[in-house]
Amino acid sequence: MSKVLLIGSPNSGKSLLFNRLTGLHHKVANFPGITVDVSTGQLQQLPGMELIDFPGTYSLQAISADERVAVDYFERSLDDPEVSHVLCVVDATRLEKSLYFTLQVIRESARHGKPVTVLANMMDVLESHKLTLDIAQLADALQAPVIGVSGRSGKGLPEVVGALKGERVLPESWVGTDSLEATDEQLRITAHKLAQRFGTRGDVLIRNQTRLDGIFLHSMLGGFAFFFIMYLLFQSIFTWAAPLMDAVEMSLGVLANWVLPLIGNQTAKDFTADALFGGIGAFLVFVPQIFILTFVIGLLEDSGYMARAALICHKPLRFFGLTGKSFIPMLSGVACAIPAIYAARAIDSPRKRILTYMAIPLMPCSARLPVYTLLIAAFIPATTGLGGLVGWQGLAMFAIYFFGMFCGLLVTALVSRTSKDQHNDLPFVLELPPYRLPSLKPLLRTCWNRSKHFVTKAGKIIFAVTVGVWVLGYFPNYGADLGTSWLGYLGHLIEPLFAPLGLDWRYGVAILSSFLAREVFVGTLGTIFGIESAEEHMEPLVQQIQNSDMALGSGIALLVFFAIALQCVSTLAILSKESGSTSLAVKMFVGYFLFAYAAAVAVYQFTGLFT
Amino acid sequence: MSINLWSLKSGDRCEILGYDATLDEKYRIRLLEFGFHPGESVSCLQSLAFGAPKVYRVSNTVFSLDDEVASHVLVRITNAHE
Repeated sequence: MSKVLLIGSPNSGKSLLFNRLTGLHHKVANFPGITVDVSTGQLQQLPGMELIDFPGTYSLQAISADERVAVDYFERSLDDPEVSHVLCVVDATRLEKSLYFTLQVIRESARHGKPVTVLANMMDVLESHKLTLDIAQLADALQAPVIGVSGRSGKGLPEVVGALKGERVLPESWVGTDSLEATDEQLRITAHKLAQRFGTRGDVLIRNQTRLDGIFLHSMLGGFAFFFIMYLLFQSIFTWAAPLMDAVEMSLGVLANWVLPLIGNQTAKDFTADALFGGIGAFLVFVPQIFILTFVIGLLEDSGYMARAALICHKPLRFFGLTGKSFIPMLSGVACAIPAIYAARAIDSPRKRILTYMAIPLMPCSARLPVYTLLIAAFIPATTGLGGLVGWQGLAMFAIYFFGMFCGLLVTALVSRTSKDQHNDLPFVLELPPYRLPSLKPLLRTCWNRSKHFVTKAGKIIFAVTVGVWVLGYFPNYGADLGTSWLGYLGHLIEPLFAPLGLDWRYGVAILSSFLAREVFVGTLGTIFGIESAEEHMEPLVQQIQNSDMALGSGIALLVFFAIALQCVSTLAILSKESGSTSLAVKMFVGYFLFAYAAAVAVYQFTGLFT
Repeated sequence: MSINLWSLKSGDRCEILGYDATLDEKYRIRLLEFGFHPGESVSCLQSLAFGAPKVYRVSNTVFSLDDEVASHVLVRITNAHE
């Protein structure tokens, strides 16, 4: 099969062109550990010809690990004998940004004997402003054919197909000329001269952008717009995703009710009910959140607002070793760490992305809420102080939420100051793209791909761990009593570990099982105390805990423990897949467990001095 | 008189003179790729409060740079904002 490479700088409209040429029938491959995607799809008009969409990059001179992978992959692809043509996309409205890269692509392709066609995209924008680009002269200067196209309207695409159909020979002038030997510095100077010759003059193209930036970056209006947009984003993952998540759970419940009566053997029935449906439900329930958050973030990125949001947040987050682009993933982490980790893909600096990964699990996610609700109801009096102005339970909830955020920022501030890995860092030089209306179809496709990635990559790990924990809790007494199961045995075994927190084996078992997901702590504790559906009706469990004479210090220690510990197999699975480093996921799990344990012991011992 | 890009206020225009020696090589490469060439004219579109990154225009492209980068770009004011 013949292959065509599609390459271009970020914000050149390359993805839209790719979707136009392939008709959305494509697959996405991820490089492990980095955020670079490579999409491949068959050309609609030329069956048997495959189009490979490379990630946008500003030059072939990589300055970060992510860029190095993308550039190496492009250079390797040029060696592939099946590659017959290279399409290089430039933004016709902002040539000065694209021409250096284009000259590099032409040089490298010529060195490998591959012909290049330059696609001058966004010709519709130029025309709408009554501006022109001298295509013939530009082609002459670049010594490569240039076609004016519009990814949005589809203009010029038949000519692109025609160029790919035609005989592919290198222009005479490239063969054996000095251009093949031109250094990057020489190309940069040439590109600069060409941009001055062919680039558009005046501010007509950025007039609207400047006007909108006057609102979105205004010290007052911009602040309001920012909070409103972040509020909508937060609502999307917290509120709008909830009915879909409930629908997933309900569908699995209906399916389970239909399947379970067909199974005769009790162990097989219990396995299907708890491990199979429980295991699948454990990760499928996150899919709506991932889909919706990817959609909302895609809207922000494609519309151009994401870069403005990053600019607004950059200064305060830089103090903690993060970047403005860390804000949205961290905010998403307040709902759920899993879509938040996906959202961190937008961070181009590998170092800042890792630091953001470190902060996300400490954001007070919604799975912590049932645990906090139970513990606060059990240990903090439902009374008010300061003449009824302050409810102690509400204050405790507020404090534990902010404690998690504080710990997240503390960790990144310390790690960024003690580990100086400048090799993987990038400067804050952010292109503010023009404001544009997002294209929905490609965006929905991205949401689908991201959801599929989660189910196929992280789902296996989550399911395997769920089955493992089920086996430990079910055998050897076939689910008769959690206390005498292997999990119960483990709980007794590690009881001395939790003794410095004033906790007995029952809490040890609940903490062990909450490795699946934090909220499992409540259900497990309910099972041990003999209370049905403790997740939905906490009151009897609250009373049981209050009657067990557990110290206030133990309750606060547990709150602190859950605020810090990374008790979530789904987060660890997706962290491992997205970072490409199982070691990072393991180190974070162990590190946060030790941090949580030490903080919880300190709290218990400290409160013991006063009670 | 040579000053740095970070010291520009909203509405100022300048010409890039070069980069100071302490600027990391990869930062210099990225700036050149973005069109911050010596001799190029740059205008400051926004200078936000609380030391937030500033917004600059080079040709028809708008960029945001923070002080860690912009303070290493040496410029000459050509048309100060009045």
